[in-house]
Amino acid sequence: MKNPYEVLGVSPNATESEIKTAYRNLAKKYHPDKYTNSPLADVAEEKMKEVNEAYDAIMEMRKNGGNSNSYGNSGGYTSGYNNSSSAYYNVRVYIQQNRVQEAEQILDAVDPNTRSAEWYFLRGMCYFRRGWQSEAFSYFQRACQMDPSNMEYRQALNNMSRQQSYGYGGYNTTQVNTNSGCDACDICTGLMCINCLCNCCR
Amino acid sequence: MFGYIKVEKGELLVREYEAYKSVYCGLCRQLGRDYSILSRFILSYDCTFYGMILMSLNRSCTGFESKCCRFNPLKKCNYCKTQSDSLSKAAALSVISAYYKLVDDINDSKFVKKIAYKLIKPLFSRWQKKAAKRYPEIDLALSTMLKEQIEAENYPECSIDRASDPTAKMLSTLLENEGKDDTEKRILHQMGYGLGRWIYLIDAADDLEKDKKNKNFNPFNSYTENIKEVINTNLSASLGLAFDAYELLELVDFKGIIDNIILKGLPITQKQVLDKRKD
Repeated sequence: MKNPYEVLGVSPNATESEIKTAYRNLAKKYHPDKYTNSPLADVAEEKMKEVNEAYDAIMEMRKNGGNSNSYGNSGGYTSGYNNSSSAYYNVRVYIQQNRVQEAEQILDAVDPNTRSAEWYFLRGMCYFRRGWQSEAFSYFQRACQMDPSNMEYRQALNNMSRQQSYGYGGYNTTQVNTNSGCDACDICTGLMCINCLCNCCR
Repeated sequence: MFGYIKVEKGELLVREYEAYKSVYCGLCRQLGRDYSILSRFILSYDCTFYGMILMSLNRSCTGFESKCCRFNPLKKCNYCKTQSDSLSKAAALSVISAYYKLVDDINDSKFVKKIAYKLIKPLFSRWQKKAAKRYPEIDLALSTMLKEQIEAENYPECSIDRASDPTAKMLSTLLENEGKDDTEKRILHQMGYGLGRWIYLIDAADDLEKDKKNKNFNPFNSYTENIKEVINTNLSASLGLAFDAYELLELVDFKGIIDNIILKGLPITQKQVLDKRKD
């Protein structure tokens, strides 16, 4: 087991808020949403787990006066989709295993008249895995058009849009990968702030 | 590779800049040692970047030494020292890529230039043979790229993705070879793919007007409107791909410099190239 302080990149004397900031930055960096369809999703997930464990371990140690060495993982971010009901189950498995060529062979054999939104999504995914981003983007777009309510297709498209807006233009690009909107961390901090305020009133 | 991978000097710490320069000078010296003094002229920022990544991955930079510069005896240069053959590899990549670029130029250019290129070809070819003997995998990656590039360009309605695939694959193979374990190899593969794609596309974007005039192949030729937008989107997406992979990589040495290149240097180069366009 790695030293939890090293994992978070803070010194053992760091204050609680320093640790929280470090944790938040790392959680953003390895956020599973960023790597949803990437062949590196499992690597990111592994890192995320490591960061979560390190954070939990430090918090646990501090709570118990720095003596405890027990490591526990309270979950944190997890990712994963359940697609067992898919018509293209085998294609999904191939893509998961990074066997793009086999997946493509099956997909290309499908009759052009019966191609569903999922077909376009998976064909786009094959291109995405190969790094053929512009083809992937147009296939994802088509999938979203055919089935606008599907969150999986929508997320793939959004993820590509995020990559397309990669920091551009020089001096104001320190924060390149800003996750837009309110993520789990924001909610937690929000709740903590409210909690503090509540205590003040009493 | 064509000299687009640069640092953003203003954003570097002074010691980082010194370190970057010493890698640059170290590679220059390595070219002189491995090949000949003339080969020092093909020194490029791209290969410096490659050498630096290798040294960072192998943690093989052992320090710096101050010696006289070969081209300017009055000037003292810092040279970085390395235990491994990272710089030799970068030097090999320099001469091999210069050779294949020359071969490609001979195919593309007109009468007078063609003769000039043919005259210097034997020199390049000698270096390339020597480098290929020592690092056959680098030579294989580059020669495959050239072959596939010609195939791709002759493909009817060649898309942006197809056109950039050979360069992207070349760089992903080169970087992948340096991974210590399976995970690192996969990360480097993805990062190399994104970077290679970006390099190919930025070069294509830079040459677009020239290629249009000379009726040469260019992946952006088929676009008639919103060209700037198309170029920008594709370039940024490639960098995004490379960056997402890079974030998973654990580097220590030269991290500040490599961060600077990926986060600032490349986007700025991209902006410069796009700003040159009048539309």
